[in-house]
Amino acid sequence: MSQPSKFYFEDVVLHGVLETPAVTITEAHVALYAGLSHDDPREAGAVPEILPLCLTTGLGWRVPQPPLAVLAFMGFEWHAMLPVRVGDTIFSRSRTATKRSMRDGGVVIEEREVINQRGEIVHKGKFTFLVAKRPV
Amino acid sequence: MGELRRYFDDIELGEEYESPGRTVTEADIVIFAGLSGDYNVLHTDAEIMKQSIFGERIAHGLLGLAIQAGLFTRATQAYATLAFVGLRWKFKGPVKIGDTIRVRARVSAKKETSKGDRGVVTVERTVLNQRDEVVQEGETDLMVERRAGG
Repeated sequence: MSQPSKFYFEDVVLHGVLETPAVTITEAHVALYAGLSHDDPREAGAVPEILPLCLTTGLGWRVPQPPLAVLAFMGFEWHAMLPVRVGDTIFSRSRTATKRSMRDGGVVIEEREVINQRGEIVHKGKFTFLVAKRPV
Repeated sequence: MGELRRYFDDIELGEEYESPGRTVTEADIVIFAGLSGDYNVLHTDAEIMKQSIFGERIAHGLLGLAIQAGLFTRATQAYATLAFVGLRWKFKGPVKIGDTIRVRARVSAKKETSKGDRGVVTVERTVLNQRDEVVQEGETDLMVERRAGG
């Protein structure tokens, strides 16, 4: 049986752009998130700001490309510019900003934007990952 | 109910809080994978993870972030938050199934904005496990309402 394919450090294209499919944020997403985290929405219909961020990580798995061979999620910064409401449909667009080879893997910095159904950038940030190199 | 929330003017620079603890369970990780759609083997494949440097499945970093956000609300009286503006965050170590995490927080900056009715409160946060190891840390910026006429 062959191993599922992965996207290794060597496969990451500097300045490469990836757009994901979209997801509509529902009351169910908010209820599950609030039940899990106890980070409740401030008012009916509001979406806690961390939830779209969490959903973009899953959206990254729905692109026609094998998943990135992440060894560790090192850190990130995030800006919430516009509110996200229940019923909004979001997708993410990411771009590889930096790629730095290390002895055991490589550091990849990805810029990510979350865009709603009106084409507005609602959230954006930068993620730093430690990514595995292709086994020799 | 309004008086129960703390306004920008009530929050003092250097205030510190510590939350209760919460044990992160396998169910938390499974629910988070289902909610987010992040099924990375780090969080979902017990067999592969036995051979990893972690020795077992670990919680999603963003699950830890979400849990600390909930713990923070139990650490102090609610702020009159209008919006979450942004954060800077580092993942320092794994959270494993059965670990009990808590958040220690400190108000590190307060900035007035051009609008007189609100200000930005920056809170430094450290997420600790049961061995007092720092597993996550960072800063969050919150837009908080000012007291009317304040």
